[in-house]
Amino acid sequence: MSRLLGVIDAATVKGGLQDLTLNRSVASIPFAGRYRFIDFVLSNMVNSGVDSIAIFPKHQYRSLMDHIGSGKNWDLDRKRDGLFFFPPYFEPNETTSIGSFSRLEQHIEFFKRSHQDYVVIASSNVIANIDFEEALAEHLIHDHDITEVQHNGKSLDIYVISKALLIELIEGRKRSQFISVSDVTKQPLHNYKIGAYEHKDYTAVIDSIPTYFKYSMDLLRHEVWSQLFRKDCPIYTKVKDEPPTKYSSTAQVRHSMVANGADIRGNVESSIVSRAVKIGEGSSVKNCVVMQKSQIGANCSLEYVILDKDVKVLDGTSLKGTAEQPLVLRKGSVRESAVVQ
Amino acid sequence: MVKKKCVAMLLAGGQGSRLHSLTTKIAKPAVPFGGKYRIIDFTLSNCTNSGIHTVGVLTQYQPLVLNSYIGIGSAWDLDRRNGGVTVLPPYTEATGVKWYSGTANAIYQNLNYIEQYDPEYVLVLSGDHIYKMDYSEMLDYHIQNEAEATISVIEVPWDEASRFGIMNTNEDLEILEFDEKPADPKNNLASMGIYIFNWKSLKKHLDQDNLNENSSHDFGKDIIPLFLNEGKRLMAYPFEGYWKDVGTVKSLWEANMDLLKENPGLNLFDHSWRIYSRNPNQPPQYLGASSEVKDSLINEGCVIEGKVFNSVIFQGVSIGENAQVDESVIMPEANIGKNATIKRAIVPGDISVPDGVTISPADGDDEIILVTQEMVEKLKKDVTA
Repeated sequence: MSRLLGVIDAATVKGGLQDLTLNRSVASIPFAGRYRFIDFVLSNMVNSGVDSIAIFPKHQYRSLMDHIGSGKNWDLDRKRDGLFFFPPYFEPNETTSIGSFSRLEQHIEFFKRSHQDYVVIASSNVIANIDFEEALAEHLIHDHDITEVQHNGKSLDIYVISKALLIELIEGRKRSQFISVSDVTKQPLHNYKIGAYEHKDYTAVIDSIPTYFKYSMDLLRHEVWSQLFRKDCPIYTKVKDEPPTKYSSTAQVRHSMVANGADIRGNVESSIVSRAVKIGEGSSVKNCVVMQKSQIGANCSLEYVILDKDVKVLDGTSLKGTAEQPLVLRKGSVRESAVVQ
Repeated sequence: MVKKKCVAMLLAGGQGSRLHSLTTKIAKPAVPFGGKYRIIDFTLSNCTNSGIHTVGVLTQYQPLVLNSYIGIGSAWDLDRRNGGVTVLPPYTEATGVKWYSGTANAIYQNLNYIEQYDPEYVLVLSGDHIYKMDYSEMLDYHIQNEAEATISVIEVPWDEASRFGIMNTNEDLEILEFDEKPADPKNNLASMGIYIFNWKSLKKHLDQDNLNENSSHDFGKDIIPLFLNEGKRLMAYPFEGYWKDVGTVKSLWEANMDLLKENPGLNLFDHSWRIYSRNPNQPPQYLGASSEVKDSLINEGCVIEGKVFNSVIFQGVSIGENAQVDESVIMPEANIGKNATIKRAIVPGDISVPDGVTISPADGDDEIILVTQEMVEKLKKDVTA
């Protein structure tokens, strides 16, 4: 039985991702054709043997709850332990800093009742395949108080801490003035021993539209793909019963990632195509990210465009962004040539 | 137990010996189909989409894969507090082990399973066929016609009628006679192996049939004649739409190819009648820089570097650079090596076709090649020799 308790702090708000978070939290932004951001850290915890995982959401968490459900897809619908969802009580000026003590305090009973002795606290927007059991081993060998998981020396906003210390920090927060686990690691004046665990494999932290686009395109590189999607540590997600993807006689697809249930009749190059997307005949889709159920009509030309879910691009429309500033079509929107050129 | 109006009994014990190596280790209903599914997914999805949530699945031949695949039925939303799916293998009694000796005998041995739900009707299905059908409409038809039994039928071409069990009916589709594979067919309405019975009548005739030592305990050959001899009202329910018995390598291949048509008879993309299956949970498929894919169905987890035309590719398949796959079915986790050529073939799951080999029927040969491990070993030797 794992000694780790999992906490996913899904309160993160990233202004740079605003176009994709109008009706959802950062944690539930679609990624890689069939996943949501949170699937990565959640699956990492499950694959590391963590049996008990609590999600602390804050803003617009309807889509997140819908996605996670009972936790069945992650094998977390358990009689003992399993998945917990702890929405916040109302507190207007509360911080979104990772591992916020005031937010954790609202559900402190969870920590006190759990039998696990250590906690891994993670933000929801890290795309990686991390073994938290290894991070815990590092934490114990070096006798750290808090171990920060890093990539190339930069914090991933993922921390390992003993449950006893976490409870002590939460309960003493008014006296100490520390607001979060992340805050403790950044403050110089205290006696806690802060250490680091370096995750060497591919890691992406997404906090803006340009990084969203850049890391989406990274998925088309074989070495990235093979480090993220390992057969021994799969990334789980909510399953949809989509049929296999259908390619017509006019389809031409290269250097792309395509999820199930798509119906492709046009040209697709260097793009990410999600579940149940339709791409019409004579259309060209290049360097794009097309999210679930979006429909691109016939004879369209799209380059450097991110299409959120349920977007409709009418026949004959041309849209173009740039690699640095891709054009984002908001969820449910309809586009035709006359409106945007 | 809560009473159920209708209980479905799904016969899934068939060997399907004409599928050769595809069914040496698994029963026919567990054979992969359509890039993602197993044959039994169609019947189970029909049940759940028709609102029939109590399904007994009768297994016998090589049941391991099938039993674990069905599990508690969650994939089809059949994990229910009342009813749901129950796998019913043969069992031992005080008097010894009794294998299922015929379709009717399989139901007879599970009278207790059916009785606990005290149903009005029993729907008998076979797990061998590919089709979409709303059984609740057939049940309504059965009730409206005040029939004792209703058999679903499909029109087949006259010249093929002698291969099927044929129902001879009057104008109102009341069944007068059942002809098993008639040499000289009087009608072209073939039984689809889908029956609805009033449970009380069926039970009576199953008891009767069980005592008859000369019976083959088969629904078509033995039970239906018992109903007819008593002058009971039997109706034929005409079905229009795609229905295929995938009993041979050729017909399995054809049914897969049917899915690739512009408007296939069987639409897998209909969200109002989804075909459910256990989802393999693999990443999206990756198509490489030199890949070319046309007129094909491709599932999750595939890595395609070569060319794929008119083919059905299951999950986790990899197709190497410069390989070409034409008019073929590649089953889960198979590998097609670089520069290999595959034409008009079925490659079963987990088989690795070595680099550079060609598997293709001789010119003018109409047959479909079922690739086997032995064939692959031999090709490997030929390549290295």
